[in-house]
Amino acid sequence: MSTAADPQLQAEVTEWLFREAELLDDGFERKWLEEMVSRDIVYQLPLRQTVERARGAGWVEGTYHLDERYGSLNTRVARNETAYAWAEDPPSRIRHFVTNIRVTARPDGLIGVRSNLLIYRTRQDAVTPQILSGERHDTLRREDEGRVLRLLERRVLLDLTAIGTHNLSIFF
Amino acid sequence: MTETTSASRADKILADLAEGLPKGEIPATLYGNRELYERERRNIFARCWVYLAHESEIAAKGDYVLRKIGEDYFIVVRDEDGGVHVHFDACRHRGVQICRADSGNTSHFRCPYHGWTYDTKGNLVGAPLWKNAFGGMDKGANGLAGAARVDSFHGLIFATLDPTAPSLRDYLGGMAWYLDLLFGLNEHGVEVLGAPQRFVIDANWKSGADNFSGDDYHLGTLHKSVWEIGAFPVPFAANMMGYHIQASPGHSLSFSMAPNDDEPGPKFFGFPERLTDTFDTQRISAHQLDAARRSRVLVGNVFPNFSILALPMTEDGANFPPTAVLTIRVWQPLGENKFEVWNWFCGYKNMTPAEKDRSYRAGLGTFSMGGAFEMDDTEPWITVGRTGRSAAAEALDFRLNYQMGMPGIGISHPVKDWPGPGIVYWTRYEEGVQRNLFRFYHDMMTAAPGQWPALGFEES
Repeated sequence: MSTAADPQLQAEVTEWLFREAELLDDGFERKWLEEMVSRDIVYQLPLRQTVERARGAGWVEGTYHLDERYGSLNTRVARNETAYAWAEDPPSRIRHFVTNIRVTARPDGLIGVRSNLLIYRTRQDAVTPQILSGERHDTLRREDEGRVLRLLERRVLLDLTAIGTHNLSIFF
Repeated sequence: MTETTSASRADKILADLAEGLPKGEIPATLYGNRELYERERRNIFARCWVYLAHESEIAAKGDYVLRKIGEDYFIVVRDEDGGVHVHFDACRHRGVQICRADSGNTSHFRCPYHGWTYDTKGNLVGAPLWKNAFGGMDKGANGLAGAARVDSFHGLIFATLDPTAPSLRDYLGGMAWYLDLLFGLNEHGVEVLGAPQRFVIDANWKSGADNFSGDDYHLGTLHKSVWEIGAFPVPFAANMMGYHIQASPGHSLSFSMAPNDDEPGPKFFGFPERLTDTFDTQRISAHQLDAARRSRVLVGNVFPNFSILALPMTEDGANFPPTAVLTIRVWQPLGENKFEVWNWFCGYKNMTPAEKDRSYRAGLGTFSMGGAFEMDDTEPWITVGRTGRSAAAEALDFRLNYQMGMPGIGISHPVKDWPGPGIVYWTRYEEGVQRNLFRFYHDMMTAAPGQWPALGFEES
């Protein structure tokens, strides 16, 4: 039986999420990947459809906008480090707003986290932002003899069927 | 009376297009003029054969998906007898949307307004308190409106709203030969690997069609990063060797192909050898099979907005060798400066689940909105549209250069001994494929209702 986290764990996880958002907003993707992401990561952004209520929320089994492992995430970070990553050079201005953080201590020792996410993105001199709203279902694991919390699973559930941004060169 | 009105601005752009094409010049305003777009909705999308869905998406009786022709919604549904219908998503009574989900399975569609109910064939089957409300009225004359014609080719379902349209086979013309050698390599054929990814870009839909008609040259600059990360196995210069083919008016494609069979590089677009062992001439000719064998990449566009691409890719070069990715996509217009990309991945039905999974992941990591290749593509298209909408482009009579490969320019040259249909050039340093797209575009935009431009090239 999972239990709601004690205040100390809640504070630790909240601090972890805020640090992660800061690294991503400030463009430290490599540091985020190497320090905060587990080598066993499963990072997915499933595809959603509008369906009748009886069929649920519309997540389409086995289809994704992103379905990443450590190797492919590393490839994405490496791509952005080349001199030809036009999609992010000049870089987007990204702000991750992370709220509604719900932490669960699981019997297997893993930590479940749900958070709401709002990403506000602008490019060049655009005054109309691209806004992506959704929920993240994360699993964190203590690694390196318990010294470090790392992201083991992330499922990004966007509130969109057609995605209103010209690419997903950003991290959620 | 000398003022140029909006309506005649579209005429002027089309006249400039006709005048410029033989010189390899295209008016930049083609990519952003609003009046031109309104005419595209009627002259192109309401007339041409438009791709809607793959048969594997609606495999069972009652399966349906909601799709678009131009900006308009259509239900693609398999009826109780296995037939495929394309219904205009509008109730006969007040025009209300009757299909409220992107996909599903149903025996009927019921309008939420007054309850008019239709079967999967589009027949009106009833409405509440029928006798009181409509007793004596003919149900047969009040079914759903359907596309004028629906047909499929290798499981690819197309429809046209124009009853004067040629048959799908005639419309595809020479392009059918090339669709054969991508989709008909064995008796099983292909299926979609999941539902389509959709994303919206502030750009003009023709940028997608233009790019997939055979813009290989941009890989060296825009996609330079993919070689640095090892996503694609064929070096840029080698990849520029191959054929540019105007398959028939409007439809173009491009092959990256080894000069001969001895090249050690990928064959059959990088499909796994276990699969390519099943490729044969059951449904295609020996010439077609041979072209597919030598192919590293095939990219093409069926006029107006259906594109195909097959090539070997990997999303993680350190851990997985490149494998064939087969993507089909639609550039769905939403205005002169907005379009939606519908992106499906396909696999041969007799691939193993592991092979399908590998191909899907490689595709997602390269040719999708989060993929290393495609995330850069949308970047220049946004400003192609910005230039196209500009008053400056009008004032300066700003023309875009489409001269690559014209006589005396570059190394490409016509090929006469190619076994397939169309106008063929060797090396991909060539933009005749795109001029072919825009020549047919011009002819459709200026054709009178009921009239069709030539669907074949004149014998030279």
